[in-house]
Amino acid sequence: MKHVKIFLFVIFALSISAKSYGADIESRLKALEETIKQQAKTIEEQQRVIDELKKELNNLGQKEMVKADEKPVEIPKTQKISGLFGSSALTNPNISLVLNTFAYSSNLNQSELEIRNIPGYIKEGIEFRKGFNLESAELYLFAPVDPYFNLYATIPVSEEGAEIEEAYFVTTSLPAGFQIKGGKFKSGFGRINAQHPHYWDFVDIPLPYKAFLGSEGISEKGMQLTYLPKFPFYTLLGAEILQGENEILFGPDAKAGPHAYTVFAKASFDLTENSTILLGPSLMKGKTKTDSITEGYEFKGSSTLYGFEFTSKWKPSKKQSFTLQSEYLYRRQEGELEGVNKELPDPILKTLRRAQDGLYFQGIYQLGRWRIGARYEVLDLFKKDYVLDGEHISFGTKPWRASGIMDFKPSEFSQIRLQYNHDKSARNGKTNHELFLQLVFGIGAHSAHPF
Amino acid sequence: MKRIIILLIISLLVPSLAYAGLKVVATLPWIGSLAKEIAKDRIEITTLIKPNQDPHYAEPKPSMILAARKADIIMFNGLDLEIGYLPRIIESSNNPKIQPGQKGYFDCSKFITPIEKPITLDRSMGDVHPLGNPHYHFSPENVFKVAEGMASLLSDIDPDNATFYQKNLQVFKERLEEKKRQWSSLALKGKRYISYHKLFEYMAEEFGFQIIAYIEPKPGIPPSAGHIDKLVDIIKDKKPDAILITAVAGKKEADSIRQRTGVRVIVLPHDVGVEKGIEDWFSMIDEALTRLHKGNN
Repeated sequence: MKHVKIFLFVIFALSISAKSYGADIESRLKALEETIKQQAKTIEEQQRVIDELKKELNNLGQKEMVKADEKPVEIPKTQKISGLFGSSALTNPNISLVLNTFAYSSNLNQSELEIRNIPGYIKEGIEFRKGFNLESAELYLFAPVDPYFNLYATIPVSEEGAEIEEAYFVTTSLPAGFQIKGGKFKSGFGRINAQHPHYWDFVDIPLPYKAFLGSEGISEKGMQLTYLPKFPFYTLLGAEILQGENEILFGPDAKAGPHAYTVFAKASFDLTENSTILLGPSLMKGKTKTDSITEGYEFKGSSTLYGFEFTSKWKPSKKQSFTLQSEYLYRRQEGELEGVNKELPDPILKTLRRAQDGLYFQGIYQLGRWRIGARYEVLDLFKKDYVLDGEHISFGTKPWRASGIMDFKPSEFSQIRLQYNHDKSARNGKTNHELFLQLVFGIGAHSAHPF
Repeated sequence: MKRIIILLIISLLVPSLAYAGLKVVATLPWIGSLAKEIAKDRIEITTLIKPNQDPHYAEPKPSMILAARKADIIMFNGLDLEIGYLPRIIESSNNPKIQPGQKGYFDCSKFITPIEKPITLDRSMGDVHPLGNPHYHFSPENVFKVAEGMASLLSDIDPDNATFYQKNLQVFKERLEEKKRQWSSLALKGKRYISYHKLFEYMAEEFGFQIIAYIEPKPGIPPSAGHIDKLVDIIKDKKPDAILITAVAGKKEADSIRQRTGVRVIVLPHDVGVEKGIEDWFSMIDEALTRLHKGNN
């Protein structure tokens, strides 16, 4: 009986505990269910985040696949520039540096090159050294001054030091199509003169320019006025008043004060969508006092230089183009030639009249990053008067030169060029076979290309 | 007799005095086309770059300088796309109305948000545009902002026609909304392409496809044989949907890659007027998206 009691008690106790246990299980299950639901939600949430991240990663991956080094990250619009001079970094002028360097080779020796002049034209010889030459590292600065002026400076630095090749302002707000340029600048005379040497299609300047204006052309202190009327076709009219110090045409101290004048006109037509011509006459006039004509003599008088330019460009696409370019120059000079040898008791004085001309003609074909070109230059073309005291002097055969180039531009900012010159400019003198390997590099601000 | 002469002189002078509408010079065809949508016949538009030219490599022809001389407004893409010729055209134009800082100097990129603006940069990376990817004309969002900018500039310079310009902008907006609905039905999401130049990034961003590699190793630098070999490997591995080129760049390279891998090549219009039937900006986007869509079927 006692056993039965205990048994019943146990059963009772068990049943109670089971009841409470059952309730416990139920609530636990519910809790569990809740937890699972919550977890499912969390997982769903996480999956969504993962998906989003994946998408972002994909995008990033795609952007980084090709250019791991050029991460396109947005600069916050509100990024602040701090520092002692604050925003002045943003108002710095644009700066670029062009390195123009070449290796030179010739069949003549260095002393023959130094005295290799153009008889009847200039006494200056060839400046290039056999071997490596540093033409210049040209520093180029430009920026607007204010709403009324832009400012440009070209400072070629060579081993001899720095010079100011150009430093000028240009007006931007004159009405009626006028513009004034002032300071020191390359004259608008002709075509090649105003171009920077690293834009030339050949390493050296054409013979007529070398004979009449020197191997760097004419860059002078003065003022220029141009007028661009609203004609149906492009017509630019220009006039300059210059100090007149070009060593070949005028001489550094021909006259105190500005005495040289230039006028020029350029017209251009688009013949078709892909071909354009540009042509026009130029004239330059001034007083002259120079010792560049012949050794031991100084010339005093006046000079007039006439020019005519013609360019025709065909460019159907960026892949190919063909350019023909030619300029004719004619110079008249009248005055006196005086011996500078002071030991003579009475320096010889003779009258000199020169009327000489020259022409260059060149063609350049561009295919992709490659270009090939040829140039022919000649002096004494139609006129070869060198009249000393009324007597015509002959210096021998016509000076001429023929050149060929091939160049490659790895990018817009670099260029490798090979040039050969067959140079007969010393008339009856030896032929000069010249070879140039030129390298041009530009860094810094992107300057605009000329036409 | 005297009267006749005076009348003759007056009749000669009058046409030049008469108001002939604003003269607008646009550098690129799509800019000219967009301006035309807003101003219709109230402006006379001259476009400098022809559709078959690459806008990166144009030269400042004297005729462009003359057009700028006669212009009341010059509208350009900006983000340095025209840096090689536009500064010279503007300065040589001797025209004070279109100089920087004046109303007539209209930089379309002023209204958009550029992408891919590099933080560090040098030219060993190729001709990278420091201000960001300049080819935003493939982005409907950005182009609409430019259209808004044009309408407010034109209204400002020519207030007599302000309501006309605003009305046209509204028409443009409605058409764009409708087009956007059509465009969004084209399934381009998740598609992967190889492109010749970094030209379609804005479009990729807005329409959800990806450009996974470029034929140009660096912007503006043509590919070497080695780079093409690498691309062929990428194509075999990643199996992109197609190579995207334009009529002016990439055909030769894309064809040789197609021969080696069998990958599809899709020629996309890069500007208004490159092909017959692409007369305005809408048809350019229409055509580009349709070709991408068809190329996938």
